[in-house]
Amino acid sequence: MRSAFCGRVAPALSRREAIEKSGLGLGAMALGQLLGLDARASAKAAPADPLAPRRPHFSAKAKSVILFFMQGGPSQVDTFDPKPALSRLDGQSLPASFRSEDLNLQFIKAGQAKLMGTRRSFRRHGQSGLEISDLFPNLSRHADGLAVIRSCFHDSFVHGPALLLMNTGHIRMGFPSMGSWVLYGLGSESSNLPSFIVMSDGGIRSSKSLFGSGFLPAVYQGTLLRAEGGTLIENLNPPEQLSGQDQRLLLAKINEWNRQHVESREDDSRLTARIRSYELAFRMQMEAPEVGNLSKETEAVRRAYGVEDPKTAKFARMCLLSRRMVERGVRFIQLINNDWDGHSECDDNHVKNAAATDVPIAALIADLRQRGLLDSTLLVWAGEFGRTPVMQGSMGRDHSPYGFSIWMAGGGVRGGKAIGATDDLGFRAVEDKVHVNDIHGTILALLGMDHLKLTFHFQGRDFRLTDVGGHTNLAQRLVRA
Amino acid sequence: MRIRIHRPFLPVLAAVLWAESVFGQAPAEKAARALLAENCLGCHGELRMSGLDLRQRETMLKGGQRGPAIVPGKPVESLLLKAVERTGDLKMPPGKQTLSVEQIGVLRSWINQGARWENDNKDGGAGAPSWWSFRKPVRPAVPVTSGNRPKNPIDAFIEAKLREKGLTAAPPADPRTLIRRVYFDLTGLPPAIDEVEAFEKDPSQAAYEKLVDRLLESPRYGERYGKHWLDVVRYADSGGYETDLYLRNAWRYRDYVIQSFHLDKPFDQFVQEQIAGDEIWPDDLALEGSYDIPDEKRKHLTAWIGTGMYAVGAEVGESNLDFKKARAEKLADWADITGAAFLGLTFGCARCHDHKFDPVTQKDYYRLQAIFGGSREIEIPVTDKMQLRARDIVFSTQMLPILELRTAYKLLVSDVTKRSAAAVKARFPPHVVAAYEKDARKRTAQEKAITAPLVDAIQSIQVEKEMTPDELRRHDDLLRQIAKGIVNLPTQTGDRPIPFDGLLDVATATVLGHFERALVRDVHVLDRGELDRPRDKVLPGLPAALSQGRALTPDCSGNCVPYYRKQLALWLTESDHPLTSRVIVNRVWFWHFGQGLVSTLNDFGRQGQVPTHPELLDWLATDFVAGGWRMKRLHRMILLSDAYQRSSRFANDANAAKDAGNRSLWRMNRRRLEAEAIWDAVHAVAGTLSLRMGGRPVVPPLSAEERTGLRSRNQWVHAGDPEDQNRRGVYVLVRRNSRFPLFDIFDGADPSVSCPERDVTTVAPQALWLMNNSVPFQQAQHLARRVAHEVGTNPAARVEQAWRFALQRMPSPEEKRQALELLASLEGLDGSASQPALEKLCLAIFNLSEFIFVD
Repeated sequence: MRSAFCGRVAPALSRREAIEKSGLGLGAMALGQLLGLDARASAKAAPADPLAPRRPHFSAKAKSVILFFMQGGPSQVDTFDPKPALSRLDGQSLPASFRSEDLNLQFIKAGQAKLMGTRRSFRRHGQSGLEISDLFPNLSRHADGLAVIRSCFHDSFVHGPALLLMNTGHIRMGFPSMGSWVLYGLGSESSNLPSFIVMSDGGIRSSKSLFGSGFLPAVYQGTLLRAEGGTLIENLNPPEQLSGQDQRLLLAKINEWNRQHVESREDDSRLTARIRSYELAFRMQMEAPEVGNLSKETEAVRRAYGVEDPKTAKFARMCLLSRRMVERGVRFIQLINNDWDGHSECDDNHVKNAAATDVPIAALIADLRQRGLLDSTLLVWAGEFGRTPVMQGSMGRDHSPYGFSIWMAGGGVRGGKAIGATDDLGFRAVEDKVHVNDIHGTILALLGMDHLKLTFHFQGRDFRLTDVGGHTNLAQRLVRA
Repeated sequence: MRIRIHRPFLPVLAAVLWAESVFGQAPAEKAARALLAENCLGCHGELRMSGLDLRQRETMLKGGQRGPAIVPGKPVESLLLKAVERTGDLKMPPGKQTLSVEQIGVLRSWINQGARWENDNKDGGAGAPSWWSFRKPVRPAVPVTSGNRPKNPIDAFIEAKLREKGLTAAPPADPRTLIRRVYFDLTGLPPAIDEVEAFEKDPSQAAYEKLVDRLLESPRYGERYGKHWLDVVRYADSGGYETDLYLRNAWRYRDYVIQSFHLDKPFDQFVQEQIAGDEIWPDDLALEGSYDIPDEKRKHLTAWIGTGMYAVGAEVGESNLDFKKARAEKLADWADITGAAFLGLTFGCARCHDHKFDPVTQKDYYRLQAIFGGSREIEIPVTDKMQLRARDIVFSTQMLPILELRTAYKLLVSDVTKRSAAAVKARFPPHVVAAYEKDARKRTAQEKAITAPLVDAIQSIQVEKEMTPDELRRHDDLLRQIAKGIVNLPTQTGDRPIPFDGLLDVATATVLGHFERALVRDVHVLDRGELDRPRDKVLPGLPAALSQGRALTPDCSGNCVPYYRKQLALWLTESDHPLTSRVIVNRVWFWHFGQGLVSTLNDFGRQGQVPTHPELLDWLATDFVAGGWRMKRLHRMILLSDAYQRSSRFANDANAAKDAGNRSLWRMNRRRLEAEAIWDAVHAVAGTLSLRMGGRPVVPPLSAEERTGLRSRNQWVHAGDPEDQNRRGVYVLVRRNSRFPLFDIFDGADPSVSCPERDVTTVAPQALWLMNNSVPFQQAQHLARRVAHEVGTNPAARVEQAWRFALQRMPSPEEKRQALELLASLEGLDGSASQPALEKLCLAIFNLSEFIFVD
């Protein structure tokens, strides 16, 4: 697998094949056409494309993923995991039975900590009666579409490693992100746009490590877009001194000269791929601004997402852009919301973040459903960990990876249910425990991939997104009614 | 006597040799077995003629009436080989049926590699290790070649393989291609046009040798090959994870590497310095009271900076990650990088379990960690004592006044703020003010609500607007004085040009040192690699299968810390170490040819690939050691070989059918420039490249889009000196979490782990960068100015000169016609003078495949 991208001499073709491909291939022709130039030759197969669409291991409904990543770590007991017992015991010490040697927290000592019940109220929603806190009044209307997993856990209580665990399945740096694995497994169906998109409404903790391709070839890494308007992708617009017409003239000549260059080097597929990459770049340059142009949407749609409301505008733009990209076949979209790290006044923090995201996410679900895209689009909501049911400092909550909630919707998932449970205080996952490797294995399965088969050989062994775990797979339970 | 019918053998042999089996017999053994069975066992099998049985290794070692048949590792002393070569009185097989040169070669290399035989497939036991790379390399005989002139030994091996496989070698590359190849290879930069033209006039071997020697002496070589090594040792200027902590003086190690290559430091010394510079050349480094550090001390200091390799890894820089956990990660990183960089083995797997494929046990892995158990990172001053004194003098005479001015400034601001706040509070009811005066954390929800407007009002006080004219004057005056004071701080010590690292920051390096002995923690085997599941305690030790179980001994008693790293380094650099020389020789081969003799550069274990040219690899490795571990000697030998000088544009259907991947090196490989080389080349041909060496990482500015996603703007503080924005790529800041976008787009190394080989992808963002990013366009403008300055306004001359500068050749008549056509139409469109059109033509040239591919 690896050698296909490593720049050693590509498999030589026969001379006849090579000549057929040289200079007259798809890339050359298509760019010529795009530029409105004379297109002469017939199209021939292009060299193997690492991004070519690939069939999943088995059939599945989900074709693309939108990951709502609640950076900083939302508190489970204030969002999707109601704990009446915790509220009753508010202000009391953590019972001795809950303390243990291995309970490490970032800032507080569990032994001295006081329990802190939620200030939110939980209510049952929809026909299913799924309990969701009042942080999400709009999302709650889609309760019957949400499958909450209340028993997630992993291995680090510190942001950096936890962010890597949630996004790459590994605690150390250097591993491919979930989106990279998905793209590697399924390929791209968006020829004019990058197929793994990342948007954030603020700074990104750990920056590119969250969406890098690790040891996978760089073509699988996420592309960071600027959702706030202006230029969507870096280097998308020509320098101001170069008019559109001049750029077309340049491209035509570059193309012609690069074709001449290939003529005596027919057996090097990288050179023909390079000609094709200019075609793609040009298409991207044409298409991306169109995708980013939200004025193409009706005012009603923009209002529904909250694009016009300053409180929700940033995340709303990201959500609306996501729908436009899903429509164009983008495979994996990661939306990062800042920042749920409520070390003090956790409730204020969560109220603010929920207000910024609730309307946009609910609108996106409704919009996808109405356009018939929800079934093929898997939505996942998660942070890098949950938070403690005990208080830190001034009404804050510390990090806790021992038991936290995520939810999934769309992509074949049958909602209106909660899977797994934490203990009575919401501290540790106790029932149907789901490790982060299991979450990833489940997501892959919902996309039709067997996490054991999606491997990449690197430094002496086959690596997977799910490391050595992932053996608890919830996909079947999630798609069942 | 039976005469056997000789069946066609070569195809089988080739198939066997090329089988890349991971398990079971090595190719050499398979081929040798097939050959013996075919030609010898008729008599020396069951029949045991002359008492010789060639069916078992033991019986071969025992031999027949004439003595042992084989001496493993020593083909020349092996009777079997003498017999089939027919050099002595014993000639086998009997009769006319002789073995071919290739067949004899198979036996020779099999014996040479230790005459491995499947049934002694046990590692760590008494016999020779079964895996080829674990056996000591033995210098093989150079194949006999035909032809007139004495061959470079490299070519003897390569051509023997080509003959064996029936492949036709490509003709030599033309002079321009060759000089461009060797320039980019050795310096990462294109040659100047006059150098190309001079070489085209005299492309003799003598001229080529002189060129190679000159480039090897250039500091640009150190930068280029230093960067290769920095990839291998996962060099970065920040720690990654969430905080991506800036490693303030990591660059001292980067500069050490560049200098080591530039000065042709013997590789064994280079290894020793990086692993144990402090232990092998111990020195208290007590700072001298003079301006001069004695040479000896300077040498030791340099060696010590080499251990900085261990200090430039990824690091979880967050608050409460406890020491034990952070320490476990550090030790894992140190063991992994030692295995990958020097041994070419992936130790990482053994963190959790015994290696499934290599005879590296989990215990071996933790023993390797334990070698580092007494070590820790420390920061040491790398300057003389006088710089410290100079700093102290400047501190008291210049820094203290600034500090006092700052105190006065802060007091002024605070006074005015308090006064204004009092005025604001007076506008609110007393109970609100009372609630406000409480500790913010103790306010009730209701108190919070009522104090909110007051909090807002106080927070929105603009201090400067509240100042009286006098106060404002004093405020501005203080700011001016503070700024002036800072600007006037010296950037180096008084009399001697020893630069401070930053604002009065004394030059330091982060290196390996030792814990107090009492603080050294035991290292345990960790069940599944998990810290809370410790098993047996282990002592420092070398991998058993590689070292025949040799134990490391504490070389001191009492309260000193044993120098285990020293023992590791000395073991790794023993002249017959099976891996160290093979691994580095293979890397150098890869850097020159774009493919290793072993294609898995960091994996010489059973999961890795077997060498395409095992004898060549061993010849190079043993010769490298015999030649004093000199890198430049090795480069020279490779660069002067015919194999290196072959054309890459040679197409041959027969070759392609047999060896499409060019594993036998029948031609040269075409290479795409690496990310840094693209950056360097664009600036070099534009005439803007700064050749200033070393120092703090330089930070070119980023566009607004490129800054998206930085956690904080201050993670990318760009260089104040414009020249620093045009420095070579090797000096650009390497942030683990936010790599320089251009380098990211063009497959730059990810410094999370060792990167022995970069990917080469071809994707649209690369085209977008070259077409649209401001850097290529600005540099195209510079190139256009350079062209115009050289040849004036004549369009044809301009086209020619642009081609000569950027591509080091004249345009073809066709290209010239097309370029003039382009210039004309561009001019027609913007109606401007010809300079903007020329700039755009230059931009087009940067986008040519020829510009970023080297034939």
